[in-house]
Amino acid sequence: MGALALAATVARAEDAPVKGGTLIYLEQQPHTNLYPPAGGFYPNGGVLNQITDKLTYQDPKTLKIEPWIAESWTVNADDTEYTFKIRDGVTFSDGTPLDANAVAKNYDTFGLGNPALKLPVSEVINNYDHSEVIDSRTVKFTFKRPSPGFLQGTSVIGSGLVSLATLARPFDELGKATNIVGSGPFVVSNETLGKELDLKARKDYAWGPKTLAHQGPAYLDGIKYIITPEDSVRIGSLLAGQADFMRQLQAYDEKQVSAQDFPIYAAPTRGVNDGVAFRPDNALVADLRVRQALLHATDAKEIVATLFSANYPQATSVISSKAAGYVDLSAKLAYDPDAAKKLLDDAGWALGPDGLRHKDGETLSLRLYESPPQPQNKAVLQLLGQQWAKVGVKVNVLPGNAASAVTDNLDPQKTPAVVVEVGRADPDVIKSQFYPKNRDVLLQKDGQSAKVQNFIDPTLNGHLEAVAAETDSAKRLADAGTAQNYLIDQAYVVPIFEEPQVFAGAPYTKGIAFEAVGRPSFYSVWLDKH
Amino acid sequence: MLHYVASRFGQALFVLWAAFTVSFILLQAMPGDAIMIKFQNPDLGLSPEQIAAIRASYGADSPLWQQYLHAIGNIMTGNLGYSIQDGVPVSEQLATNLPVTLRLTALSFLLAVIFALAIAFAAHLTEWAWLRSTLAALPALFTSIPSFWLGIILIQIVSFRLKLIPVINPGEWQGLILPVLTVAVPISAPLAQILLRSIDDVKAQPFVAVARAKGASHSRVLWRHIARNAILPALTIAGILLGRLLVTAIVTETVFGLDGLGTLTAKAVLNEDTSVLQAIVLLSALAFVLINLLVDVIFPLLDPRLGRKIGATP
Repeated sequence: MGALALAATVARAEDAPVKGGTLIYLEQQPHTNLYPPAGGFYPNGGVLNQITDKLTYQDPKTLKIEPWIAESWTVNADDTEYTFKIRDGVTFSDGTPLDANAVAKNYDTFGLGNPALKLPVSEVINNYDHSEVIDSRTVKFTFKRPSPGFLQGTSVIGSGLVSLATLARPFDELGKATNIVGSGPFVVSNETLGKELDLKARKDYAWGPKTLAHQGPAYLDGIKYIITPEDSVRIGSLLAGQADFMRQLQAYDEKQVSAQDFPIYAAPTRGVNDGVAFRPDNALVADLRVRQALLHATDAKEIVATLFSANYPQATSVISSKAAGYVDLSAKLAYDPDAAKKLLDDAGWALGPDGLRHKDGETLSLRLYESPPQPQNKAVLQLLGQQWAKVGVKVNVLPGNAASAVTDNLDPQKTPAVVVEVGRADPDVIKSQFYPKNRDVLLQKDGQSAKVQNFIDPTLNGHLEAVAAETDSAKRLADAGTAQNYLIDQAYVVPIFEEPQVFAGAPYTKGIAFEAVGRPSFYSVWLDKH
Repeated sequence: MLHYVASRFGQALFVLWAAFTVSFILLQAMPGDAIMIKFQNPDLGLSPEQIAAIRASYGADSPLWQQYLHAIGNIMTGNLGYSIQDGVPVSEQLATNLPVTLRLTALSFLLAVIFALAIAFAAHLTEWAWLRSTLAALPALFTSIPSFWLGIILIQIVSFRLKLIPVINPGEWQGLILPVLTVAVPISAPLAQILLRSIDDVKAQPFVAVARAKGASHSRVLWRHIARNAILPALTIAGILLGRLLVTAIVTETVFGLDGLGTLTAKAVLNEDTSVLQAIVLLSALAFVLINLLVDVIFPLLDPRLGRKIGATP
């Protein structure tokens, strides 16, 4: 009995976090803009997640929304009014209070934007109308129409709370990290633009999410972000003991890291899967049979097996199997080149002597821009092109950093297909990706592009609006299922794999956590003796 | 002399203006622009109306000639404009990035000259034919080594295997050793090649035979008679090498994560950040003009024949 107790104490002593030290974190790209709604870009989110707190905390495992800066909340029956009670004693790092007024100003900006300062509207907030400060610790938000995704929206990386001074700055000045004042466990102390970023722990931090085992200030003294664009240098420095943690480990480098017993962390992004979407406004893919043919000509299993590792699961629906509202559609996504050939024959695309399909003097040849943020995207598209070539469809993969990529991707005539992916742990993510007023990847009329002639799909938009506005959560998940089924039935999108964010750390780097869509949190990290 | 300086100065101004104008036209001709690349980013979720409003606020929709006059007026008053992508004044970016590149390129160039001289003279002084041919073959090898490969190999061996110099968080000067080596090796190659050739050429000239006949030693002839003459073509090449130096620096800065002009250029090109690119074009044009001016001034000092007027005087 005594020995058992002793063993338990020893075990605990070994697990007790060591305080102090600076984490050297190797980031592939510098951050661009730290206006919180721009946190979708991984390097931005990786900084914002340490220096800002959110109104609510989404448990990355259960995806349940829990209190954080808001200690409680009430929602009215039709999800048009949300009232939050703000935790007492929270301050921004400039000393100003994080009270109901500050929260109200943050959401007025995120929900309505600030055109004078060029601050855009956050994509996670739908139908926002206004805020009302009831007392110093109570704030009420009112929406024009039901906004069931709002509660989850208060927990995401794009909803970090910043001080009134930060909100008063124009968008352009928010590229400088030292201008971002949040209430998070770390504060930006120094920045060498595009190269290094120093964060320092706040000693008076006492308002982490209540559900975490770790309370009080961070264990680390600080974090040093070093921008190291070259893959081999990031991995080599980590393995050589010059750094403690790194982002963006490619699948082909995983073995090199795990062979030396360095842990690999694959954080799911829980959103729309990595894949290719079509622009039906382009005559080449306007016919459902052509899109279906391409869907069945895609061998996602081969792509995953050839280019990736076990950390990249094959897609079984439009959204990730770990996403809220996911339905398994693998039966509809079967690889079947014979069916694909038949569909193309039926659609009138006849196989020519050059091995390609032709119809009315036109060749079935699709232009597609590589998407540099997606893992090994060029290789993925080239392999996809080889698979489609087997049924007679040609793919031209264009470099993603070409100057023309942005404009061409808005023109359905120039880009009949486009790479898709977006992370967010709420069914709203489907709407974010496909709705004309949001990312509009299918390019519908009256959406993001003025170049669209005809294509518009009111049925799809109806399904997407339902996901964003349905107040009954069970029905809302069912709506998300309907939207996924519809997108695959119409073959608007070819899902390929579930995209993770892959990190690697030194064996002595402990306590790494990730928020629901894969941004690291260094709040509970500690460096063991080494 | 005054007339010479004035005309050179006028030429320099013309070159700067032409570089600015041509780059302005070329950048405008490209599809898309910095505002589009930045704000069309789907992570921001902006509507087309909002983007139109942002464009208007940047003055991006005013006629081209107005934008041109505006830009050139700004440059005249020393205002290099604002980086749309980074949201900071271009002058601030140059202030952080320029010193890094200046230090890297200056040290690399110095080392490259030392390498080149060492190779050329060692090849001519050695008695052994095998060493001479080995040294003479070095420039061809150096010039064909891609600098990113050399950088990565140096890091792998020196930093990761031997653990002599850290790449992450090195000391200020320590961090320059490997990058300087990476840039110096390919830059030394053309210099060494030209030196080797011109030493051969000068060696064949009659005055060398005269000097030898007078009993001067092999090394004395090389240093006192041949070197002064052989160095002139190398000097001309040195002026032209600046462009290559900048290109090599871009690659090297990326490999080593150095935040210099190269990294800034690469990023500005990707984002079509016009003001940044124009400032870099102007700066490079200025550097070219200055270096060529310097070469022209040094030339007569090294070769007195160039200072004299040759031919019939009217």
